[in-house]
Amino acid sequence: MNQNLILIGYIVPVVVGLVLMTPAGTSIGNMLVGRNPLMIHARRRHMLGMNLVAFTGFVVSAHTLWISNKISEGGNVCSSATVFSCDDVLGNAAYNTDPVFGLSWGLIGMAAFGALLFITNSVGKEPDSLWAERYLKYGMYMTGAGLAVIALLVSYEVEMGKICQFCTMAHISNVVALFGFWRAGQMHDRGEWNDNTEIISKGDGENKE
Amino acid sequence: MKNDIEADVRTESGIKIMALFFVAIMFLAFTTDPIATGTKAGERAPDLEGMAYNGSGWTKFEMSDYFENNWTKGDASGEWMLIDFMDTDCTFCLQAAEKVAQNSNYFMKFQKDSDGTPAWKGPTVNFVASATQLDIPNHETSRDEIIGFRDKTGDDECGGSACATRNGGAHAFVYIDDIDQDNMKEWKVPGTPAYYLIQPDGIVAWSSSENPNEKVADAIIRLTLEE
Repeated sequence: MNQNLILIGYIVPVVVGLVLMTPAGTSIGNMLVGRNPLMIHARRRHMLGMNLVAFTGFVVSAHTLWISNKISEGGNVCSSATVFSCDDVLGNAAYNTDPVFGLSWGLIGMAAFGALLFITNSVGKEPDSLWAERYLKYGMYMTGAGLAVIALLVSYEVEMGKICQFCTMAHISNVVALFGFWRAGQMHDRGEWNDNTEIISKGDGENKE
Repeated sequence: MKNDIEADVRTESGIKIMALFFVAIMFLAFTTDPIATGTKAGERAPDLEGMAYNGSGWTKFEMSDYFENNWTKGDASGEWMLIDFMDTDCTFCLQAAEKVAQNSNYFMKFQKDSDGTPAWKGPTVNFVASATQLDIPNHETSRDEIIGFRDKTGDDECGGSACATRNGGAHAFVYIDDIDQDNMKEWKVPGTPAYYLIQPDGIVAWSSSENPNEKVADAIIRLTLEE
């Protein structure tokens, strides 16, 4: 299967997720209102976007682990003579595992995005619970720490002179998730997190958004 | 959880995420059969690369270019590889040079029978030397010294004597410049000389460090002729 098509399959949900997290997502929210009236609320759209991004990060991480395994079998998945060659990056035994425990970066990505997905899923279901804001902060710290890991992995790519597109997609998912957690905090601070007033407004035939 | 109904949401999410993780791991387990990269028998050999001298000049060498990923055990058409990690100033390497010359001529099928056919009837085993510079006093080497060691030419000294007078005949296989020890470190070579027999699909079949009592020739005969 064409790897570029798969890559587009990852880019689309991340872009949609990012748009849903920004004010630009209002128009998408309005389109979705017919299917789900709750999409009128910025908070609901935001959490949907975050779930999309975290899920994409999880899937793309699993995909990089799959590619690593396939390369170890002797196969070629996305080998290329150009700078974009994930085979060269994921197949490089000197760099494709973490330097401390020797775990595959793909597996680490799956665990990290799995944890983020747990946070976004839980908070999405109980956004007003006492622990929700604290969990969002944990998410921000996790994705913030992820930046250091991304810097390390990018330094490996620079050293190799090759770029792994799928790894980059996972890195972008982390950065977008960091933005999402940061923005969720901003929404809390501005009092935009609560959507009760908007439900009432909608019931009155007004739309304050 | 008895008094905290919010815990239910987190439990439900946790179960869902764990199930997702489990499904992903099962998918990976059923669709892939990963082989660890390393230098022990059964592991995929790390890459070996660098500028290599082939008797006429220095060209880029990349070991992975020579592998056949679809090779299956018993297929005699696949070409094996014997990697010789050595140092041009190492006494044991100088002593082994004669045997290495004999083995390479035989297993690379340069040695012929009276009827003109190769003396070795098994699959071709290509020899490759990775010439390093050990961190020991008086072990300074250079590309000229590597050429001198391989071809038995020039005025350079190998282990205190002229490279041209070392034991055995000239070698007819490629010598990779690993003076910076990049390959040696990646392969975690314990000392020189060290030998690794690589299958045509890039899997390590044998190493001298794991089999100190078996000679290189015996290992090649035992492993390459296995059905």
